Amino acid sequence: MSASITGLLKPWTPRLFLVRWSRYNPYYLEPEPRKEVYHIPETELTPEQKEERELKSVRPIKAATNSVTSSVFNDPVLSKFVNMMMKDGDKIIAKGIITQTLENMKRKQVEKYHKAPEGKKAEIECNPYAIFHQALENCKPVIGLASIQKGGKFYQVPIPLTDNRRRFLAMKWMITECRDNKHRLTLMYEKLSQELLAAFSKEGNVVKRKHELHKMAESNRAYAHYRWW
Amino acid sequence: MAMQGGTALQEKVSRMLSRKQKKPVLKPNKPLVLKDEVANRKIKKGEATCVTEMSMMMACWKQNNFVDTLCSNEMQSFYKCVEKAQVCCCHSQCTGNPCSRLIAHTPLSQPPVVLN
Repeated sequence: MSASITGLLKPWTPRLFLVRWSRYNPYYLEPEPRKEVYHIPETELTPEQKEERELKSVRPIKAATNSVTSSVFNDPVLSKFVNMMMKDGDKIIAKGIITQTLENMKRKQVEKYHKAPEGKKAEIECNPYAIFHQALENCKPVIGLASIQKGGKFYQVPIPLTDNRRRFLAMKWMITECRDNKHRLTLMYEKLSQELLAAFSKEGNVVKRKHELHKMAESNRAYAHYRWW
Repeated sequence: MAMQGGTALQEKVSRMLSRKQKKPVLKPNKPLVLKDEVANRKIKKGEATCVTEMSMMMACWKQNNFVDTLCSNEMQSFYKCVEKAQVCCCHSQCTGNPCSRLIAHTPLSQPPVVLN
């Protein structure tokens, strides 16, 4: 199959109008944004990595999207969260809200840190990125429910979820919770920082929602055999 | 030897198809050629995977009032089981899978090997 495709491919010349979301020929390789890969010295490369490098010197490579960078601040989970929060393609506003949220969380935690007695200071987490990641981990459900038809009726069957699905559900619940259940005058970043800090300490509505899902799954455990995969 | 066997078979088939002697025995509606793909089979429904791990985890939850930290062992074993099940889903080791058709296709799509 690849032989026919390479036959159709004209000799590659760089063009001005190579748009990212157009369909690339499968001959093109993915770009590698991580810096650590390029810092490995020649001697420490495994044979597969050497082969990959040789392949990259011959084949054309796709243009990188705007969202991937090789900077230290690039966080794929955070980027995904920003994209989910975005409305009508307005990423600037969404990114602004997230930065304000992180700053707000940092401020609250630093205030708590300074007010805490000496023994408890080490336990308070001040890094907003760490708080964000831990809060999201605490919100991820372990099993989900699927509607499966058996004998004319639909049953809610507990199923294992993939990692992507779990991450998506955690983020979705967080965003809907912050949009729906807030007072008219509270700003989004304020509510989001409150919810993230609550989720970090395993309290709050999002974690409650996760527990409710678990309880539903537990009550329906008899239907687990209706799965066929 | 395969070629001699092949020609004998061709002669027998042409005799069965011909109308010169008696009525033709074979009346094929499609050309008598082997295809290079296997026909569709009805996918047999498998069983639910990881049910034991799931039930152990749920029993642990029931005991500990759904606190996650106390059930971390059961949860880890559940995750491992799920990972293994996902890997097994499209591997040749699992029989009776939709992927077994793929396994038959790859040698069939290659050109035939002539043994001398």
